[in-house]
Amino acid sequence: MRSRPVDRFFLYAAVVIVCAFLVFPIYWLLITAISPPDQLRALPPRFWPETPRWDVFGQIMRERPILLWLTNSTLAAVGSVVLSMTVSVLAGYSLSRFKVRGGQSLGLFILTAKMLPATLLVIPLFGIFRTVDLIGSLWSIILAHATLIIPFTTWMMKGYFDTIPRELEQAAMVDGCSPFGALVRVILPVSAPGLAATALYGFVLSWSDYAYARTFLTNAQTNWTANLGITTMKGEYISNWGDISAASILVALPILLIYLFLERYLVGGLTAGAEK
Amino acid sequence: MAGIRIENVTKSYGSLSVLKDFSLEVADGEFVVFVGPSGCGKSTMLKILAGLEEASSGTIRIGGRDVTDLAPGDRDIAMVFQNYALYPHLTVRNNMGFGLKMRGMDAAQIEMRVMNAAKILGVDHLLDRRPKALSGGQRQRVALGRAIVREPQAFLMDEPLSNLDAKLRVHTRAEISALHKRLGVTTIYVTHDQIEAMTMADRIVIMKDGVIQQIANPDTMFRKPANLFVAGFIGSPGMNFLRSPVTTMGGAAAVRLFGHDVRLEAPASLAGREIVVGLRPEHIGAGPGPVTFEITPRLVESLGSEKYIYVDVPEENRAQIDPADRQEEERRADTIIARLINPDERSAGERITLSFDPAHLHLFDAKSEVAIQ
Repeated sequence: MRSRPVDRFFLYAAVVIVCAFLVFPIYWLLITAISPPDQLRALPPRFWPETPRWDVFGQIMRERPILLWLTNSTLAAVGSVVLSMTVSVLAGYSLSRFKVRGGQSLGLFILTAKMLPATLLVIPLFGIFRTVDLIGSLWSIILAHATLIIPFTTWMMKGYFDTIPRELEQAAMVDGCSPFGALVRVILPVSAPGLAATALYGFVLSWSDYAYARTFLTNAQTNWTANLGITTMKGEYISNWGDISAASILVALPILLIYLFLERYLVGGLTAGAEK
Repeated sequence: MAGIRIENVTKSYGSLSVLKDFSLEVADGEFVVFVGPSGCGKSTMLKILAGLEEASSGTIRIGGRDVTDLAPGDRDIAMVFQNYALYPHLTVRNNMGFGLKMRGMDAAQIEMRVMNAAKILGVDHLLDRRPKALSGGQRQRVALGRAIVREPQAFLMDEPLSNLDAKLRVHTRAEISALHKRLGVTTIYVTHDQIEAMTMADRIVIMKDGVIQQIANPDTMFRKPANLFVAGFIGSPGMNFLRSPVTTMGGAAAVRLFGHDVRLEAPASLAGREIVVGLRPEHIGAGPGPVTFEITPRLVESLGSEKYIYVDVPEENRAQIDPADRQEEERRADTIIARLINPDERSAGERITLSFDPAHLHLFDAKSEVAIQ
């Protein structure tokens, strides 16, 4: 059915409005980063600076250990994602495939754990990490992030495995795979879109953490993550919002790149053709 | 290749028993079809044979070897699934060679076997495609190819045609039969379609509620059904059932059908028993015969070369039968169908003469539903 021009006008108008809402903060972040400090609070506001200071990115990378912070954030995110995915792939697969006594209650328990606010765990985790001497170590936030990520990713993976026909691993087993072999050789390759989406979700969750890093890593400057580092750029009396915005853009870039890289997996459709 | 021996296999899920004491011996190279309505346990039995389900009790031997506790991959069987279960991330070539690779065969030999199987099935031009780029029929062939490259002791097929359209199903049915003749591999084939069972099987195992009802070749199954269930299940349209008490007539048993006393080829000792008389639609003819009756059809369906005449059953002959297929049983309770080949023009409401030969009647005990031989 062809839509009428007037319908299309409203549709496009709605799309433009929604995009404007989503894109405006990013645009404003960029403007703040590249505007000279005296133009930041100009009235009426300027929507593009007269002399954009593109060198701000190079400048803050020289002045601040941004690369070290990014490396720490990457290590923490990759570590927690690897740990979480290892656990949640196996847990999600078990919840999806094996009928065990109490399996449903266990699933619900994991679901409940998802509902707890992250901050609720800060103090008990601090106590545990102090006991095992992990405060100040990147391992503290790797483990802390994993505790947050695992319940989410387990349910995401369970949901994805539920959509994969059991006959696929049955066929693999008849072809000579062990149950674990069928998971690794057939189910995981087929689950690539689900794995990518789930891993990305965990990565973003870890990357955007501030509370845990602030609590566990404050006294270990060499292990600061990007988010923690950026907040130290805010002075008690003076804050250079241009520099903070520029640093924020640098920190957001890796996530953007990962999205672009994983896009082809995220669109899904790899299971097409498995069955009729 | 090898024979299969299934001994006293049972399967229960808690208190629910889905297979009750299943025993069967399949000869080397035989094509056996498990057939029955949904939930009769046929697919469960196949999965137990494949090792994908564990039997609650009983033993399974393939080629004389006890495989009851072996993993599916160690049983040397190949399976074709209802939904094909092709590996979507692998090409057709790799799908077919996957099982051989798992067994550590070298690449050159895998390639040779895959090519051979692909040629047999006419999919050799599709080897570099992924399953999503294939039609339903092509996927079906690849699934068959994946099974035959393995050169296993036995093929297990779980309703492999049910996802194909009617025309392709008939074509593939014949192909599978031809493939079986060519390869001679012992095959167990599961279907709910009695036509597939009749056309493909060396022997049919007909099941209901986890119990084998009859094991026989297709002709015997059709001519000498062991009970009412088998009689109703095999044949299309299904057998007509008429209920009547048995009397005697001239030293033999007799029943009253359509207002006529009909002398049976059965001893007079049956007298006094309540029986169900079975009459196949194709055994009712147009015009006068040994037992002739005049009726007004309720409905006439024309299929071109044949016509189905739907006739109301007299009140006294209506049979109440345990419904295996509720819709069909409801029809059978008060309607019989006559299948007339190349008949004259007929229409509903027009009175016609039909007849049958009592020699074609099947007799079943109304209570036990077992055939009276």
